[in-house]
Amino acid sequence: MTQAAITPEEYLKFTEFFYRKTGIRFEESKRYFVDKRLYERIKESGRESFREYFSFMRFEASGNELQSLINVMTINETYFFREEYQFDCLVKSILPEVSAKKARGEPIRIWVLPSSSGEEAYGIAMCLLERWPGITEHDVEIISSDIDTRILDMARAGLYSQRSVQKVPGAYLAKYFKATTRGYQMVDSLRGAVEFTRVNLLDAADVRAYRDFDVIFCRNLLIYFDDLSRKQAALTFYEALRPGGFFLLGHSESMSRISALFQFRKFPDAMVYQRLEGGLA
Amino acid sequence: MALIKQTKTEPTAIDVRSIVRDFPQLQAQLHSADASQRRWAARELLEHRNSASALVDRLPVESEPSVREAIFTTLARLGDATAVQGLVECLGSDDASLRNEAIEALKTMPSEVAPVMQGLLHHADADVRILAINVLESLRHPRVEQWLIEVIESDPAVNVCGCALDLLTEVGTRHSRAPLQRLKARFASEPYIQFAAMLALKRIDPA
Repeated sequence: MTQAAITPEEYLKFTEFFYRKTGIRFEESKRYFVDKRLYERIKESGRESFREYFSFMRFEASGNELQSLINVMTINETYFFREEYQFDCLVKSILPEVSAKKARGEPIRIWVLPSSSGEEAYGIAMCLLERWPGITEHDVEIISSDIDTRILDMARAGLYSQRSVQKVPGAYLAKYFKATTRGYQMVDSLRGAVEFTRVNLLDAADVRAYRDFDVIFCRNLLIYFDDLSRKQAALTFYEALRPGGFFLLGHSESMSRISALFQFRKFPDAMVYQRLEGGLA
Repeated sequence: MALIKQTKTEPTAIDVRSIVRDFPQLQAQLHSADASQRRWAARELLEHRNSASALVDRLPVESEPSVREAIFTTLARLGDATAVQGLVECLGSDDASLRNEAIEALKTMPSEVAPVMQGLLHHADADVRILAINVLESLRHPRVEQWLIEVIESDPAVNVCGCALDLLTEVGTRHSRAPLQRLKARFASEPYIQFAAMLALKRIDPA
């Protein structure tokens, strides 16, 4: 089956729609990337043209095709120190502010999700130990959650490929990883320092116990949710954070389009969201 | 001090979240003086099929934005006739925030909103008709284009037609071409309609 080429007008129509839905904007320079994936989805869904496909995808009640489209348009890749500037923001700006308000002996709590295979949670742990002087004065709990129990087992095992650790500084690699025949394994002390838990963010019973967090990292997850699920998730994060707690999304995501419950904070290294002190009332 | 791991994520203090409550308790909780309790009740009421009425009743008097957001989200998830009707009534509210939040909630409920959309698009108040078009902007329903065509074919208010026209520029197909030409003729002295209709016709594939 031969597909008609996607016209410039159709490309514009698609990218405007996709931006509104996901906050991800594709410029003209991404034309090849976008077109290739659109053609794949058009073929996969049994449609014969962009026009037919766009109409089907946009109005499909279940939203399944939009979800599939989002999945192929986003690069679902995890590795250590991804979007590292947010870790800099954590240790230089966020934690100093959080720790200044902590009572003596009260731990700082960080929630990371989706955990995936643990790169982000372990990366944060290494950053705290290596770059945040406050770790000598404060206890920090890191809880990393995912809905996928298989991936959580992998996170607990802490075994990574060369590609996964490519951005890990050499000194950290030597200190926190053991080279094995199967790859790089996180040392036991760090594997034992992060709590990995299964949670469905949209299940009230599941998330009930998650609370009193000072910082939540939830990067590149909400783009996979539909609008209503994003709103539910935002409420979950609001409940899980202490008043004044910080919330970090992926660089292409925006909370302002999901919920009005968080204020925007601009720090030198990153822009983050914050639950207002004492709520909004 | 160091990285520490607690063996459980359960809250250490007994609070409202850890108490198992039935529908009457949650309904009462929705009127608690404590906003966090009201918010939690609004979320938990999702588990009770007949809770829409209690949530709808709370909306006009609820002043805490986070509780309102929880109520709207639960109503959208419940999606029954009472929830839809309650959200639709918000479109006529004097409270702009309530109207906007209702629009956002309705946008997420295509199947539930469809049966009432015709009525909304023929509402006596032009502002409500415009708000209904705002709902259509993100509504995932195959009739969206047809509803918009009906608006530009028959609505007497130029602002209402203008809103529908803006949206047709994005979602319109060849079925919209003739109605767009008729709209141009109907509002021949309205420069915006002329410009926007021309843009829509340019964007819509003639095939």
